[in-house]
Amino acid sequence: MLANVSSKAAELFAKDGVLSFLTNSTLVALVVLGIVLWFSRKATKNMSLVPHKAQNFMEFVIEFLYGQVEAIAGAKQAKLAFPLLCTLFIYILVSNWFGLLPGVGTIGWGEGTGFLSVKAAHDPLLRPPTADLNATIGIALSAFLVWIFLTLKEVGIWGFIVHTFGPKGGLKGIMGLVVAVVFLFVGVIEIVSIVIRPVTLSIRLFGNIFAGENVLHIMSDMMANKGPVMSFLGSIALPLPFYFMELLVGLLQAIVFTLLCTVYIQLSTTHDDHGHEEEGHH
Amino acid sequence: MLSSLPTILAAGKVDALVEKFGLAWPKFFAQVIIFWIVFSILKKYAFGPILGMLEQRRQRIADGEAKLEKIAKDAAEAAKNAQAVLDKAEADAARLVKEADEAAKALQERRQQDAVASANSIIAKAREAAELEKEQLMSQLKREFGRMVADATGRVTGKVLNSDDQSRINQETAAQVSA
Repeated sequence: MLANVSSKAAELFAKDGVLSFLTNSTLVALVVLGIVLWFSRKATKNMSLVPHKAQNFMEFVIEFLYGQVEAIAGAKQAKLAFPLLCTLFIYILVSNWFGLLPGVGTIGWGEGTGFLSVKAAHDPLLRPPTADLNATIGIALSAFLVWIFLTLKEVGIWGFIVHTFGPKGGLKGIMGLVVAVVFLFVGVIEIVSIVIRPVTLSIRLFGNIFAGENVLHIMSDMMANKGPVMSFLGSIALPLPFYFMELLVGLLQAIVFTLLCTVYIQLSTTHDDHGHEEEGHH
Repeated sequence: MLSSLPTILAAGKVDALVEKFGLAWPKFFAQVIIFWIVFSILKKYAFGPILGMLEQRRQRIADGEAKLEKIAKDAAEAAKNAQAVLDKAEADAARLVKEADEAAKALQERRQQDAVASANSIIAKAREAAELEKEQLMSQLKREFGRMVADATGRVTGKVLNSDDQSRINQETAAQVSA
């Protein structure tokens, strides 16, 4: 029997102790790591100009993503940021879709009702990492650190301060002073928005995937009290449309996360051309 | 949102959130480490080789395009050269035909002139021979006729003609025959 999904990942061994980090989401993260390692080795083994199937698929994915990143962030930043952004996309997508596999979230420990049977899997064996806030915050902070590195590398600390707080428009005199105060305030808002980016990114991803897990579990449980046959049929038929929706949500969330990180990098690494504009006016 | 942040902090709701979502440093770092291992694996085993292969293929296609362009250019150049050679050969052939034609005409004319000269010479010689033969025949005829007249005169007159008579009769007869 299925139950509503817990909002936190369950420890596999002990709540406290050395192995407390080993949760059901950490286990799936390790499985995802294994899948990525296996497929990337398979795709890049015996590479040739005429690609084999796995190589062809990997080339398609990487070429497509590189094109998207390059179109948004520019050729220079794309070279630097692409490995992280592509990793974000692949890791999040594989994690999201892994959560849709049969058994993920439904096989685990709970109140026993018979041989290898539980009333509800309160502590499932497997949980997608993207349905664990530890993982989504970790991913978002990693992206944030890379964003800081790329931004400071491109524009420098002073350039970042000028870019954030500097008045735009080239106005002088009293109007210039007023505009400077306005842009100072805008800069403060910008800093706040930058600081909360990891929070928004992580909670958005977690919320969507966690909500999806909940929807699937609730839909599977809808007919639980209608007898064994109806319960069985209902647990198959009712969540089925939502599986397709969750496939889409999983892909969409991977795209949104990657796209937002790309846009953040593009916004902060773009050089201001106000000086040139003013020179142009003279 | 900013105004609600102190409220959340003051009410100790952070601890509740941490507890509710199971946030813990070991779990967080475990997830971060796994993510960075995935990043390292993909960077080493996927992005590097695949991007290298894509670049290699792009370079190969560019080289192929450049070669194709060069081949097309060479083919156009070769066609142009072949046309020039053909034009030159055609001009040479026309010139040779014209020269041969002119030479043939000159030769024909010369041969014709030679033939005419030869024919004229043959005709002249034939005429001379005929004239000579005619003269010989005439003189023979005159002699024979004179002899016959002298003989007839001698028989008619019963007189033996001397050489003067015979000479005179011959001359008169020859004069009469000539007239």
